[in-house]
Parts: sequence; structure tokens; C-alpha cells
Amino acid sequence: MPHDDPNDPASFAQFMQRTTRRQFLGKLSLGIGAAALGDLAGPALATADSAAGRAAAAVGGPYTGVVSPTHFAPKAKRVIFLCMAGGPSQLETFDDKPELQRLTGTPMPGSFTEGMPLAQLQGKPLNCLGSRATFAEYGESGQRISNYLPHIATCADDIAIVKSMVTEQINHDPAHTFMNTGSIISGRPSMGAWVNYGLGSLSEDLPGFVVLTSTGGRSPQPIAARQWGSGCLPSQFQGVEFNSKGDPVHYVANPPGVTDDRQEHLIAAVRDLNRMRDEEVRDPEIESRIAQYEMAFRMQASVPELMDLSGESQATLDLYGATPGDGSFASNCLLARRLAERGVRFIHLYHRGWDHHGGLKQYMDICCRHCDQPTAALIHDLKRRGMLDDTLIIWGGEFGRTPMSQGEGGDPGRDHHIKGFSMFLAGGGVKPGISYGATDELGYNAVEDPVHVRDLHATMLHQLGIDHKRLSVKFQGLDVKLTGVEEARVVRGILA
Amino acid sequence: MAAGLCLAWGLGALAGCGGEQGGGGDRASNSADSGPDIPAVRPVSGREAVPREVRFNRDIRPILSDKCFACHGPDAHTVQAGLQLHTFEAATSALDSGGAAIVPGDRASSVLWARVNDERDPMPPRDHHKPLSDAERALLGRWIEQGAAYQPHWAYVPPMVTPPPTVRDTDWPETEIDRYLLHRMEAEGLAPVADADRATLLRRVTYDLSGLPPTLAELDAFLADTSPNAYERVVDRLLASDHFGERLAVFWLDLVRYADSVGYHGDQTHSAAPYRDWVIWAFNANLPFDTFTIHQLAGDLVDAPDDDSLIASCYNRLLQTSHEGGVQFKEYLAIYNADRVRSVSGAWMGATLGCAQCHDHKYDPYTAHDFYAMAAFFADIDDVQHIRDPNGGIYNRLPTPREPEITALSPLDRQRIERFQAELDALDPSADPRERALLEAQVLAIRPRKVMVTRAGEPRPVRLLPRGNWMDESGPIVEPAVPAFLGTLDTDGRADRLDLARWLVTPEADGGVGGMTARVFMNRLWAQFFGGGLCPSLDDFGGQGNPPNHPELLDHLALAFIDSGWDIKAMVKRMVMSRSYRLSSIPSDQVAVQDPLNTLFARQSRQRMPAEMIRDTALAVSGLLVDELGGAVSHPYQPAGYYSHLNFPVREYKHDTTRHQWRRGVYMHWQRQFLHPMLKAFDAPTREECTAERPVSNTPLAALNLLNDPTFVEAARGFAQRILTEAQGDDAQRIAWAMRTATARGPSADEVAVLRGLLDAARSYYREHPEEAGRLLGVGLAPRDAALDPVEHAAWAEAARAILNLHETITRG
Repeated sequence: MPHDDPNDPASFAQFMQRTTRRQFLGKLSLGIGAAALGDLAGPALATADSAAGRAAAAVGGPYTGVVSPTHFAPKAKRVIFLCMAGGPSQLETFDDKPELQRLTGTPMPGSFTEGMPLAQLQGKPLNCLGSRATFAEYGESGQRISNYLPHIATCADDIAIVKSMVTEQINHDPAHTFMNTGSIISGRPSMGAWVNYGLGSLSEDLPGFVVLTSTGGRSPQPIAARQWGSGCLPSQFQGVEFNSKGDPVHYVANPPGVTDDRQEHLIAAVRDLNRMRDEEVRDPEIESRIAQYEMAFRMQASVPELMDLSGESQATLDLYGATPGDGSFASNCLLARRLAERGVRFIHLYHRGWDHHGGLKQYMDICCRHCDQPTAALIHDLKRRGMLDDTLIIWGGEFGRTPMSQGEGGDPGRDHHIKGFSMFLAGGGVKPGISYGATDELGYNAVEDPVHVRDLHATMLHQLGIDHKRLSVKFQGLDVKLTGVEEARVVRGILA
Repeated sequence: MAAGLCLAWGLGALAGCGGEQGGGGDRASNSADSGPDIPAVRPVSGREAVPREVRFNRDIRPILSDKCFACHGPDAHTVQAGLQLHTFEAATSALDSGGAAIVPGDRASSVLWARVNDERDPMPPRDHHKPLSDAERALLGRWIEQGAAYQPHWAYVPPMVTPPPTVRDTDWPETEIDRYLLHRMEAEGLAPVADADRATLLRRVTYDLSGLPPTLAELDAFLADTSPNAYERVVDRLLASDHFGERLAVFWLDLVRYADSVGYHGDQTHSAAPYRDWVIWAFNANLPFDTFTIHQLAGDLVDAPDDDSLIASCYNRLLQTSHEGGVQFKEYLAIYNADRVRSVSGAWMGATLGCAQCHDHKYDPYTAHDFYAMAAFFADIDDVQHIRDPNGGIYNRLPTPREPEITALSPLDRQRIERFQAELDALDPSADPRERALLEAQVLAIRPRKVMVTRAGEPRPVRLLPRGNWMDESGPIVEPAVPAFLGTLDTDGRADRLDLARWLVTPEADGGVGGMTARVFMNRLWAQFFGGGLCPSLDDFGGQGNPPNHPELLDHLALAFIDSGWDIKAMVKRMVMSRSYRLSSIPSDQVAVQDPLNTLFARQSRQRMPAEMIRDTALAVSGLLVDELGGAVSHPYQPAGYYSHLNFPVREYKHDTTRHQWRRGVYMHWQRQFLHPMLKAFDAPTREECTAERPVSNTPLAALNLLNDPTFVEAARGFAQRILTEAQGDDAQRIAWAMRTATARGPSADEVAVLRGLLDAARSYYREHPEEAGRLLGVGLAPRDAALDPVEHAAWAEAARAILNLHETITRG
């Protein structure tokens, strides 16, 4: 489209005649409303440092994100976030506390608990409960990992364990919202939306942000679609959930009685009619509509292809422990690798089973049986394919669990805990084989190098080449950022 | 005009620079600022122009607010270097470091001027990531030179009367609205485009006032009616239609975040549908906006509350609530307080008072005290009982019990009973007894329903929470009060919600903020019909929003609204009768270049329809629409397993198998956590928070939805059935009938050819695969006319799918 070259003054007037705000955005494949318009177009089009984005916009290239070029040299191209929804216990996974073991059954010292938030233990006795696991050292790094995670233990030299995580929210729903959006107020963009807004997508026929879920363990906690919403960013950036049952993506299958050929003819007719209308009314949004229908048609082929694991070797299936089509965390981990290979920026897995208020041993067994092997398989598989270097893996829950026991009987549980818990990161420029930060001797408070959720966000963005202070969108008068208004720091201690 | 200037301006407008900087020749004449006393200032590029006369609200406040106020603004707690720039007094007073930030008329002596031009240590600091542009610096310089006059923020000044301005082209305007708009266009050297053709106009006004497409009969009647008041009669018919309320309710339900589920955690359903009916009824009955306001905020406190006013008071119960085991009472009371403050300030005041939860507002004069004083109005609403059971317990029922509730007929229920009763009364004694029985059964089927209401109780003490921390009880107890800078309430004893509601709708002259409220509402109403506000920031009239492009017209409408007795229909009529409303939406070359954002309204807007309207269009043209006013929540087809992530209790969605399947979008079940994929794909908000403006996206998910969602496939076969039974003639004539039904215009020969090609290919395919025709025609529950040849029916269903998927079909132009 030669008349679209804004650097050619002769063709420029003609270009503008056919161009409104919609066209600029349409060419970005971003039809959005006036609410986000100024801000979206602002960074993409009007700042000096995004000449590339402007050029792409004018010549109809793919959307390359508002952070173009990146603020720093990126270490990671994509993120795989393995969310252990419900909140796994740090004390049965990565945080070994012999002193807590010694005090099992005795009251938790009031100096720890006084005035502190509690969830279901409100008004209940607060007694110490030592780990129900045994710990050993693994790998050359000698990281201490529990016997519930024998496979992840084989990755001890690949992962950086953060033992000093803290969050602000003690109930599931707001804690997830906080972990994903940095705020508990609904309507803020989630991490995956931010990353796609910032960097654009690397895939031409899949969404840039994909969510996969699985269950197994204790009573599955609800997960709201808000957790992968685009909030005040254009809905283009929202996460798309891929389902293991029914259509993998809603409405991705042709209607009954309609073949691919018929569907293709239909879409071609719609395209032709839209083009004719455009000649009459010169509505640039129409061009974007045509492109979206073409993308939709490509998705009708690419999504089933993605979900079809029949091309994977038995050895690979065994590595993950996946049975095609079972909707398990294992299958989802394998799909995560396939999504990563196809250029998806942000892949978010939820395993909903980790809310262990009671039956801790029983449910740790179940959850770890579901999640341990596939997690390790994903790390090994990416590594052998040379993709771990530019894939950032993050593993953890929305919070941790109390050092105090909850419930009676032989297999008590633990309540929600926000003052100190563990997560791990791997790949994407993270220093392998280290532990970072520490909780106190009873595993209650993060006392050494605490890492706030905001710090995790800042660090993740940093590895992707984004300065968290410079990725924002104006909404209701506020420069909304993933890391919010409080100070957030990049956790340099875990970076290679 | 030089191309470079066009480019800069086009991009500048995209970047959100106010429309006031747009326009024609003024900018070109101010290309550079080169006073001899400028220290080290970079020359202003010709691409960014500075107006000769700088106006604070238009030119300066947006710069100071966005780039300076975070450290030098109204929030006294974060002031750096003791400097505040939000008032003239503060900005011109002596600095600790000597001198003054601003010395009016003398920029060389102004510390601000030196610092914004200090290349080594500039203001704003580099790590603020908000550098000033050359044009912004030049504006600040010129403003100081011109005396650094401040203006009160436009939104906090009561609307003022300005006589409709004079225009050069006195023939064009038909109403006062036109004169305001044309005056501005003429100043910018812009001419309005031609009027829309009559078919387009009818389609536009029918969608805008009813949310539905015009029928072919309505279209033909209007095209044939050449009388001078034909259009006005259409407007009056639409304003009197039941569909008016269904259409207008959507934007109000977005603002008050109406939904059918609680939002947090288990996202249980709750009982609110009668409130949705009340809103529709209120718009249809043209309830004055002041009463509309008072009943929602304080329907329990008015003299002689009745069922209707109590149903209206459900507004106070629409917030998101949690029934998660282990919630902490005090934490959630704080969350609920904040939710209500954000809602009332967002819906009525166009304000972001929620920002003051943790600190004084950074950009607007709201203090943290104002935030908690506003929350205190709602402290008489008992929320504690719903978070009393730490293990969820009974609240995990569907719907979750949320006392206080009443069981009542909504005003629409009563209206439907009255109408059935009237039909019964009018029945001829000799009528078929089955007809009588049917009507009687319909009356009996309308049962009172549960709805959450407000009942004032003993107010809880509300404390100012330092930094918003609910665990910190060191803050003072705060009494209900309106934001201090907006005045005080004159009440005996503790002010209540009724006082707040009345204050919102009492004109400024009588001690309220009614003019400002009217301005907020008029701006949003305008946006319904013109595609954008007179002030582009529908959600934020504060310093971080954009100032209005047409402040005089906005004030004019606000005052007229109050003078009319808060008559919404009268104001709607005023807007849609204007010539400006009736313009073509196709930009002229000049308009396309000079005003791509359409801030001057020299043409109409093109809007991708809201989700509900897209659904309603498909149902209407297919003949499936069940035109029933109010009542139960509608559950259309939805992908199986979509609620599998919900728990407490586990949920299985069951789509309606009755007439409720085909009701309008406004009645669709609104599950906050898992909004129906169709609503989501077309940008309907989750209604977790106040939404003043929906985004408009264009995504592959939306395409997949229109292509493959059974609702639209079923609609296509219904549409095909109509084409085969109601249209006459050959294929081309039937195609023309179908296109007119969906888009109100006949197709060109080329368009007919495309659809015929599709139709013929589909025919030959389904002739060879009749079983596939059967499968396609089996989508959905609606019965099918068995007399139709399945191959023909399926082939036409494919053509109908194409028409339903056209950009034009889902666009109001």
C-alpha cells in the first residue's frame, strides 16, 4: 500500500484522507475504544523511541508492542507461569524448619501471631505444626527440597528458590487478583495482558496469552476469568483459555453441517462484501475486521493442531506423564511447551487443588503426584531443546500456608499464610541452583531479603526487557502499572 | 497545510492531547517561540504549535497535573521541596531555596522556568519518565509571561449560561445544539458533512432509541412519508416505545455495576433482577433524574417508601461481596466501603474519589478524609451479617441469601399484569375459552420475586484508615460529609444517604452540586447518540481527564436538563432532533484530515454496536426475538463446562429451553467471574466496577463468536426461513430483501453477485450432502418450518450467516 507511507509528503494527504484513529489502530490489529485510545496510541505512535512501532503501524506490519525497542536487552522472550492455586505449603516443599518440628503441638509464640491477619484460624488455637515432609540436599548446589518433590529435586541445579515471598492478601480471590494484576481492585490488567501489550505477540495464528487449567487435590478453589483479563487494556490482550474438553477455544469449531471449505467460502464472501462496503463508506475499521476474520479462520486450524498430541513421541509423553486429552496438569505442561514453540508470549497454567486446610499429607500426595513430574519434565524438555534460556518459568501459589496447624485428627492441615512463603523461578536469565531470602526459624515471617509480589512483577518484566516503571496505561486519571504506586525492586540476587 | 504539521497533529491528537489544540489555522500561525530572554530553550518545532493566548484549564492544567502534581500537587503528604503548583498562591510564594517557582509575567525570574529548561537536572526528573515536550515547555513559558493566571478546574465550576453563539452560515443550524457546534467548526475552518440519507437516519435513530433494527415496514413507511415532521414522529414513536428503556438501561447498568452474581470467590448468584426491571421502567416512565437518583441511593429513607423505591435502593447492594470462608470482617467492611465510594463518585460525579482511599488525591482536591466521610454515608447498611459465618455455610446457596430482601413485583411485572388484564377485559364473551385461559395463566405466572434492598440500621463507626490499612485503628472516626471543597451539608444531626442524594441533584445556587451532576449525565447521554462525549473523558472530570471540547454546549445542556425538571426524554429528543445528529457518518476529505477523532462532530460517528445490540439484531432479523418486557433472567446457549472453575457450590449452567432463550441481551444472566463469552467478546464489562465507557475491540474471538456461536447459527436459519417465506421473487430479490432487513439498504449488483455465488455453492454442497443440511438446521431449539426444503433452507442459512457477519450489520453508522 504505497499511499500509506507517511514519510512521503506527496502521498500523505491521500493517506490521511483514508485514515482516522481507527485506521492507525486497525493496522496495529488493535481495535479499541476511546477509553484506552490516547494511551495506547500514545506510546505506540507518538513517542520518539518507538519509531519502529510507528513504521509498522503505517505499513500494516504486526503489532510490536508499546515497548519497542525494549528498555533493556531481554533475557526472556516468554513466560510460563505455573500457578499452584490454593496456596501450596512452603513447609512441605522448599522451606525446611527444624525448630518448628521441635515445637510441634505447642502454642505458636504470641510474638509471631499477635495482630497478624488470619483466615480460617480466626478465634482458633494456634499451635505449631512441624513439616510433614523430610528434606534432603540435591544436585551440585545442594538445595534442600522435600521428599514430596522427587522430580523437581532433579532440577535443583536449574532453579532459583525464593523462600521469602510476601503478599498482602489472605483470601484466595483477592490474593490471586493481587498476584496477577498487582491490585485487588477489579479491572486492572493481568500480567499476561501487560506483557503482550508491552511486547506484542510472536504468533500469527494463536493468541499471545493462553491459560490452561487442571484439577486434582483438595476442593478446587474458584478461579475467576478476571485473573487473565485485560482490565483497562484493550481486550485484544486478554488471556484465552484453552479447554481440554469440548472446543479447545470457545466457538473455534465450525457449526454442525459446515465443512472447512464451506466456512472458508463464507469468510471469503464476508471479506468481499466488507471490502465493497469500505469503498463506499471508507471505514478503516473494516480492514481490521477483515484481518480478524482471517486470524479467526487460521485459529480454527492452528488450535486443533496445537492440542493434538499425537505427534509427540511416547518417550515425551512418558517424560511428562501425560495422556493426550486427559486435561491433566501433565498434558497442560506439554501443551505449554508446544505453545512456547509457537510463539505464545505468556502461558499461564493453574492447578486447582492446593488449598490444604485439612488432610495435608493426603492432599500433598495427590497434588504432588499431579504436578511434580510434569513441572520437572517441562524444565528438562525446554532445556534439551535450547528453549529454557529464553523462557522464564515461575512456580508458586497465590500465598503459602501457616506454620500453625488447622483442624484435628491424624492429618491436620494449614491455613492461608502471607508473611513468608516460597516460589521458584527457572530459565530466562535467572541464576540457577540458588536459594534466595529466608523466613524466621519458625517459617512465619520473611526476615531475610523479603520479596514482595511487586518485586516479582518487576523482576519478571525486567527479564523480558521492560522497565516496570515505564510500562503504564492511563486509566481513570491514574498511570496504572503492574507494580502499582509503591516501590518495587528488581530482585538482582536471583539474576544470572 | 504542510504534511509534517498534519502528521504531528494527527499523532498528537491520538496521544490524547486535548481537542482544543486541534483545528485549523491558529496552530499554523504560531510556529515558534523565540523571545530573547529564553535560557537554553530548545526551539519549538514547527510540528507542535503553541496558541497565542494560553488558557490555564485548556493548556496548562493538563501539563501540571500529568507531569508535576505527583510531587507538587494537592497531596500534602508527598510534596517535594515544599512546592505545590496547584494554586496560584502556592506556586508564587517564596521557596525555601530562594526565589519563587512562578513570578507572574517574568519567566526569567521564575525558578520553574529555569528548572524545566535545566538540561543537566531537569524537571520533571528523568526517573519520573514524563519529560516535557518542547511545546509544553513553550506553553508554560508563555503562560508565565502572560501572568500565570489560574482558573478553577472547569468541572468544579457550576454550569454557566452562555447565549448560543453566532454563526456565519445561518441556514445550516436547526437547533441551538447545531449553533454551538457550527460556531466551533467555523472557527476551525471546518464544514459539516452532508445530511445522512433517510434510510441510514431511520436505522440510526431506531438503534439509538430502541436498540433494535427498524422493520422493513417501518423503513418503507418512513421512506414514503414526505411530510415535514415525518422524522419527529418517528422519534416520538421510539421514545414512547417499551424498547427505549431496554436500550438506555444498558449504560446505566454498566455505571452502577448491576450483575446477577456476587463477584468474589464462589461468585454465587444473588437476587437483583427486579432492580434491572426498575431501571428499564424508570427510563420508560421518564422518571425525573433527581427522583431516579434519590430512590436508588435512599429509596428506604424517602417519605413513605414503597416497593418500587425499595427495589431502587438495591443500588446500594450491587457491590461485589465475598462469602469465602475465612474472610476477616474488618477487611471486607473496608473493601465494601471503598467499592461504594468508587461507585457513587463514578456514577454520579464523574470523579475518581476511590483514589483517596490511601492518600489525598494526587490530582484533584479530594482528601482521604473526604473518602472516608463519603463512605460513612453508607455505614447504615448492614453488611456484617453476610460475613458472619467464617466457613461460608448458608451463603453458598444459589441464590445466596442477602438480607434484607423483599419479595415484590417489579414495576414491569405489574405493567405486564395490567396489560394482560386489559386484554382479558377486552375479550369478547364469545371468545375461545382457551384464549381466556392462556391470558389468565400468563397473569398468574408473574410472581413476586426476591430482591435485595436497603434498610437503614444503626450506622457503624467509620474510621479514617491511615494508608488505607484496615488493621490500623489509629485514625479518627469520620462523620458522613460531602467532599469539603464542594461545600457542606446543612442537616440536623448526622447526614444520611438521603441528604447525599438530594445534594447531588440540588442546583449549586441552593447548596448542592446538581449542575455538575447534570453535566456528567448529559455528557454520557450525548455519547450514547454521538459516539463520544462533549468532554471526551466520560469517566473522569478531574484534572487527569481531558477538558471538554465544547464546554459551553455541555453547560447549556446541563442547565436545560435541570430547567426541564430533569426530563431525560426531553433531552434525548433535543439531541436527536438536531441537524448535527442527522449528519452522515462518512467523513468528507476535509473532516477526515482535520478531525479524525471527530471531536468537533462535523459528522456522525460510526459505532460497532454494543454486545447486547448485536445479539438483539440477530434475534430480531431472524424472527426469534421474544419481545417480553422485564422479568426473569435469560440464559442463552453457552459452551458446556464454562463454569467449571466455579465452586461453593459447583455450578452447571443450564440454558433456557423456553421462550427466555430468545430474549434481549439486557436480560442475559450476568455472571461477574465468567461473563457469557459472547458478551465478553463484544466488550460488555464484567460489572465488577463502575464502567462509564466500554472499549470497542475487534478480535478473532469476536469473529469466531459471530461465525459459530449456536445463537447466531440458529438466528441464521431463522433468518433464512423468513427469507424463504416472507420475501418474494428470485434469488436476487430475496437477497435484496435480506440485506434491507439487516442493514436497511439494498445491495449493489456486485454484492448480490457475491451472495449468489455463496448461495449457489452452498446449494450444490447441501444437495450432495443432505444429511449435513439436516445437521446445520438442527442447531438450536427453535422449531423449523418443516414445509421448507432442507437443502434450500440450509443454503439460505449460509447466505444469512454471511449477512449476519458483515461489519455493516453490527455497525450503527
